[in-house]
Amino acid sequence: MAQEVKYEPVAQIGGGAYGTVYKARDRVSGQFVALKSVRVQTNQDGLPLSTVREVALLKRLEQFDHPNVVKLMDVCATPRTDQETKVTLVFEHVDQDLKTYLEKAPAPGLPAHSIRDLMKQLVSGLAFLHSHRVVHRDLKPENILVTSKGQVKLADFGLARMYSCHMALTPVVVTLWYRSPEVLLQSTYATPVDIWSTGCIFAEMFRRKPLFCGESEADQLGKIFEVTGLPSEEEWPADVTLKRHNFSPRSPRPITDYVPEICDLGEDLLKKMLTFNPLKRISALNALEHSYLMED
Amino acid sequence: MAQTGFCDSKALLDLHKKERRVPLRTWANSCLPKERCPPAESMERWEMVPKAEQDSKWVRVPLSAEEGIILDYAQMNTTHADGPKEEAMLRCLHGLQDLRILVPSLLRHEMELAMDKLGLIYDRTYAWDIFSDMMRSQLRDTFPSADLPNPFTENTRAILVDWLIQVHEVFHFSEESLYLAVHLLNRCLRQIKVSVASLQLLGVVCLFVAGKKEECLLPEVSELCYLMENAYTKHQLLRMERRVLCGLKFNLSHCPPLHFLLLSASIARCSNKMVWMARYLLELSLLEGQCVMFLPVQLAGAALRLARLVLQEPSTPESEAAWCISSTIHVGSEATLLKIMQILAVAAARARTRETRATYIKFSTADTMCVSHHPALKGAPCLLGLTSMQT
Ligand SMILES: Nc1ncnc2c1ncn2[C@@H]1O[C@H](COP(=O)(O)OP(=O)(O)O)[C@@H](O)[C@H]1O
Ligand SMILES: [Mg+2]
Repeated sequence: MAQEVKYEPVAQIGGGAYGTVYKARDRVSGQFVALKSVRVQTNQDGLPLSTVREVALLKRLEQFDHPNVVKLMDVCATPRTDQETKVTLVFEHVDQDLKTYLEKAPAPGLPAHSIRDLMKQLVSGLAFLHSHRVVHRDLKPENILVTSKGQVKLADFGLARMYSCHMALTPVVVTLWYRSPEVLLQSTYATPVDIWSTGCIFAEMFRRKPLFCGESEADQLGKIFEVTGLPSEEEWPADVTLKRHNFSPRSPRPITDYVPEICDLGEDLLKKMLTFNPLKRISALNALEHSYLMED
Repeated sequence: MAQTGFCDSKALLDLHKKERRVPLRTWANSCLPKERCPPAESMERWEMVPKAEQDSKWVRVPLSAEEGIILDYAQMNTTHADGPKEEAMLRCLHGLQDLRILVPSLLRHEMELAMDKLGLIYDRTYAWDIFSDMMRSQLRDTFPSADLPNPFTENTRAILVDWLIQVHEVFHFSEESLYLAVHLLNRCLRQIKVSVASLQLLGVVCLFVAGKKEECLLPEVSELCYLMENAYTKHQLLRMERRVLCGLKFNLSHCPPLHFLLLSASIARCSNKMVWMARYLLELSLLEGQCVMFLPVQLAGAALRLARLVLQEPSTPESEAAWCISSTIHVGSEATLLKIMQILAVAAARARTRETRATYIKFSTADTMCVSHHPALKGAPCLLGLTSMQT
């Protein structure tokens, strides 16, 4: 059914990379939904890759009904003119994204137990994705939704993809601030990139502002090394253009300088997530068993 | 004493001895450190088909619901009449009495290594989860029957697939994209109404959509039209894309049989030649309408077994052991495997003289070790036919 007939628009939520997201009401059930539309010029390349992947991945994951992944309810294609078609993804509506949630949190910020709870859900959503060979690749507060009851739902699978043999070549356009060192260095990357982003988001939950705000790839790496210290020569990937000697030597600074409110266990987990070497970075499954997340 | 160390392909094909499974004890023995093996255990013994083997009852015991769909392994009955010697040997095996515990963990370990090697995983923590997921999700990839709606015939489908194999090569797409494209085509042919006139368009769109899911570099729509000698406009192509995506409700997931093949081959330590041969046979399955009824893991298993049978490479205790570990992956009944092997053997024997020769040509190059030219392929159906006539 045409989307205009079925859903009544209520408000604009966000301007996305490929179109706008609207809050709308299902005229029959009265339920709120989020509509993410893409305009497809019928004379170019057809449906954008990101939409094909987003829908295909969510379709594959939906059968598992994971509580921490946003639900895709429907996909509608509406021809608008002869030259243009609109494809709309219909999602369950979630009250806000994590960015808004953090902004709205009254001073002095989120209580420690809420952060732990959000992290638990975030990591378990991630463990679910990773054990189904899906790498999200664009985790950031805007792409993490939080319901009014505090339930976390991972969203925006436009860059996500199934992990397979020829991944390393794909360029990514993930927001700079949450990009892992291996992506910044254009080395091979995989599931650990999501863990890095999660680490950045973890710190941001305490700080209520991003941890590393670089202005370019090199600047972003510099900001990272200010905190983690310059990695050793052995840790530096061999096949990359940016060399270690391009950066000034630094020793690590205590992460608590940046995230003073964090507890000892939280600090330990954060450090394990912000490990330079992706092979040594903690996995989502192991993070779930970390004492910080096991505590109640 | 029963010598159970065999995994000879011929014996594996001898399917009519009821439900014989790949003997677990085989590799259990060969996994023992060399010096523990009785000196009499020579190569010839490995090739023997032991009598006791045929009487033993191999039953599949799922460890749990989860592992039931994954593991095919025999129950270890330690009181079995295999003699005290074997029992003693088994006990040596890290002191583990119950092999039911050992099999999965060995396969798990091997699977982790194989997935890592193939680049299917990054983090070994997820290896088993991902493999279980592959085994589970492939269950949705089969069709109840090979019949195609009118007016399509198996032959028209084969001609189209053959052409897609060539187009796929032109664009240097990955093998995953090819298997996905043909799978999407199989579904579209059954789910959306298309005329014979737009069949080629449908094929190209399936490849295009598969590329959107799998590839980093996509051809321009105009290039695709050009390949079809501009018989269709860009507009028509993109309208077909929409029809395909909506018709399939955007369900584009598919577990390519190639992944199962490469995993099994890696665990079984197959030679390069055997892997190429199996890949060739597996790709031939794309042209066979009947193959849509089988699970990807079965197609892969059958291709690998047939490759092994055709090549008859000399075996070593180590290679037998590796083969047997890989054979603990559950691929269904022996009868089904034999059926697929027969289809593939006939296809391979006919490949050279058929109209649809893209795969034959693709696998005739030095890069692919010229496997499609292998002389034994001509006699492959005979090899299978003979054994199947025994009962
Ligand atoms: N299901 C939803 N419920 C509520 N808000 C949503 C939903 N999906 C997305 N949004 C909002 O819309 C924004 C853009 O959506 P997103 O899926 O991230 O698209 P893009 O790929 O354009 O970034 C998000 O940051 C979020 O604020
Ligand atoms: Mg987004």
